Amino acid sequence: MAAVGVAGTDQYNFDIVRKFTIMALVWGAVGMLVGVYIASELAWPFLNFDIPYITFGRLRPVHTGAVIFGFGGSALFATSYYVVQRTCQARLFGDGMASFTFWGWQAVIVLAAISYVLGYSQGREYAEMEWPIDLLIEVVWVTYLLVFVGTIMKRKQPHIYVANWFYLSFILATALLHTFNNLAVPVSLFTLKSYSLFAGTQDAMTQWWYGHNAVGFFLTAAFLGMMYYFVPKQAGRPIYSYRLSIVHFWALSFLYMWVGAHHLHWTALPDWTSTLAATFSIMLLLPSWGGMINGIMTLSGAWDKLRTDPIMRFMIVALSFYGMSTFEGPMMSLKDVNALSHYTDWTVGHVHSGALGWVAMISFGSLYHLIPKLWDTRMYSEKLINLHFWLATIGTLLYITAMWISGIMQGLMWRAFDDFGNLQYSFAESVAAMHPYYAMRAIGGMFFLTGMLLMVFNAFMTIRQANAQGARLEVSPAKAAA
Amino acid sequence: MSQQKPHSVQTTGHVWDDDLQEYSNPLPAWWLMGFYATVVMSIIYWMIYPAWPVGKHFTTGFNTVKYVNDKGAEKSWHWNTRAQLMKDMNDAEQMQKPYFDKVTAASFEQISKDPELTSFINSAGKAIFSDNCAPCHQAGGQGKVGFFPNLTDDDWLYGGTHEKIQETIAKGRNGYMPAFKEVLNNDQLDNLANYVASLSGEKADAAKVKAGDALFHGDAAACYYCHDNSGKGRQVIGSANLTDKIWLWADVPSQDSDEKKVEVIRQVIANGLNRGVMPAWETRLKPEQIKLLSAYVYGLGGGAK
Repeated sequence: MAAVGVAGTDQYNFDIVRKFTIMALVWGAVGMLVGVYIASELAWPFLNFDIPYITFGRLRPVHTGAVIFGFGGSALFATSYYVVQRTCQARLFGDGMASFTFWGWQAVIVLAAISYVLGYSQGREYAEMEWPIDLLIEVVWVTYLLVFVGTIMKRKQPHIYVANWFYLSFILATALLHTFNNLAVPVSLFTLKSYSLFAGTQDAMTQWWYGHNAVGFFLTAAFLGMMYYFVPKQAGRPIYSYRLSIVHFWALSFLYMWVGAHHLHWTALPDWTSTLAATFSIMLLLPSWGGMINGIMTLSGAWDKLRTDPIMRFMIVALSFYGMSTFEGPMMSLKDVNALSHYTDWTVGHVHSGALGWVAMISFGSLYHLIPKLWDTRMYSEKLINLHFWLATIGTLLYITAMWISGIMQGLMWRAFDDFGNLQYSFAESVAAMHPYYAMRAIGGMFFLTGMLLMVFNAFMTIRQANAQGARLEVSPAKAAA
Repeated sequence: MSQQKPHSVQTTGHVWDDDLQEYSNPLPAWWLMGFYATVVMSIIYWMIYPAWPVGKHFTTGFNTVKYVNDKGAEKSWHWNTRAQLMKDMNDAEQMQKPYFDKVTAASFEQISKDPELTSFINSAGKAIFSDNCAPCHQAGGQGKVGFFPNLTDDDWLYGGTHEKIQETIAKGRNGYMPAFKEVLNNDQLDNLANYVASLSGEKADAAKVKAGDALFHGDAAACYYCHDNSGKGRQVIGSANLTDKIWLWADVPSQDSDEKKVEVIRQVIANGLNRGVMPAWETRLKPEQIKLLSAYVYGLGGGAK
């Protein structure tokens, strides 16, 4: 157990939460650094240095893997293990299993990154890991489910708090998605290479059923779970509406499962499938907004906190970006809008308004709330939190604005015809036109990364300060926290 | 906490983790109305487009696409991406057809005198060139030394008349030069390289140039056989003119010393060439497209008379 006199050390397993919190920060810094690097490669290609291991194609899944599964995943493990214990008033079920999920999950991220750099990939977006890593994920994930459900089952509270529904739906859905999307036949027992069990359109359909629900359940539902605990905690106010939370939870869970095919508009996918995906995406708009409304309305009556509390700012801006990107998403899933936006940087911008604006910001806010609680101290510097907030906000805005302009420009250039009915621009001309916006995107990323590094520094100093205080207070063979 | 003032709404009565509570506010009316509106929108969308699978078929929607099929017959089909694509492609083709008909009927000379046809060629040629030729010859046709010929200068390996260009595009080309290290020793290669350098006015060792000259025109190397006695090459077989300052395979211009210039020439002579391959486009492009492209490439720079 950690040395510091954390309240309820015996009652709750906070050791595992600390470990995951630290790794969330580490992976956040690593993943965003790689992101900035590949964004820079696109703007300034000499950065490839003719080294195959660091080309865009190989580093891109390293970036997405490290930020989604490393940073996002570790933040979710940390907060879900924290929230489920606090709201169930029960110690985590199975310390050993929880510890296994930690080491197993970290191994997944590292192995995945190494295999990508060496050129191994299933070629499935956000599921590039080859089959042995997929099997490890499967085991880790089932263990996670057991720990989480086991804790809920031994709760001392009659009711299950809303955050836990969201976390549980995320764990269940991810297990389902991961299993079916990764059904593949290895070339042999001793090769990493495998081939998908599905072929052609079915394969694409399975991949995007996975891909969009990874967004829906991993990057949305789970982070809503985070929001449902940390926003009311930080605001010190009750959730706005219990009923809204139930209705939007079920509507979100039901509708998300249908919409993956909107990634395949104007392809070999049957037209009826793409129509259904478009309409379910439209119907998903308000259920998505349910979470934003519940979060923002929770704060009504305490708006003054926005002036004084940078953590609250992170959370509210996160909810605003969440609302914006869940509006943009359904629009982009309409056939006619998609005809313009598909394959362009607009999609990349959309993803990042969700990823930077929502997922990362709500995680930053929650972790800033969590870290002092875990180490029983105060954050080393509130000013740095505030600075981080502004860097992150400016970085996100630069990023998505650049991608909006370049994406819409690409879409328009690709479809522009001259008076003779000939294409007006060649593809290479559209690439050249994107250059300034690629530079702008990379700079936006640098802002965001700088903020992340400040957070790592701030957390490091906080933990050091807590350990020093702990050592002063007690004679303890202080094991360095996690 | 939550002792805020007159809030008429009660909480649900559950409390977690000391202070987490929930109000029992109703669903916001605008939220509910908004949701219903999206449902109505979706139903309308289903009525327009193919939507729900029914048995082995699906509801087709009321929207239709009218298009002309390959056989020229007018067709109407329920909205689908395939019909939409055919319609778009046919519409564009119809716009271009009168111009392509003129290109087919006219001689190259007539084409070059018709300003409207010339602007059509510049427009369509750029699109066809960008899709098919630019990956090797680069966007503006400037080529790449060491790989692909420059199309904007007046130097033509196989001839730069309209007809020759058309033949090159349609049938492709296969440039080849044997590796002379098989038959010549290092000194001989060196002498030849100096001679070839001297042909285009590069600095070279006079003694070696003399020896190289003999090799070039003698039967040991027999360079003259392809490159002609003059060293100016023969367009019939696509052998390069060695007397001008234009280099395709040996990157002479970017070398910073005379030794290096000779060296890159020596390497080409020693190792030969079998990568001067241009594919035949007649299997991929229509005859009228190739004709148009010939006029376009001719216009890129120095088409020959």
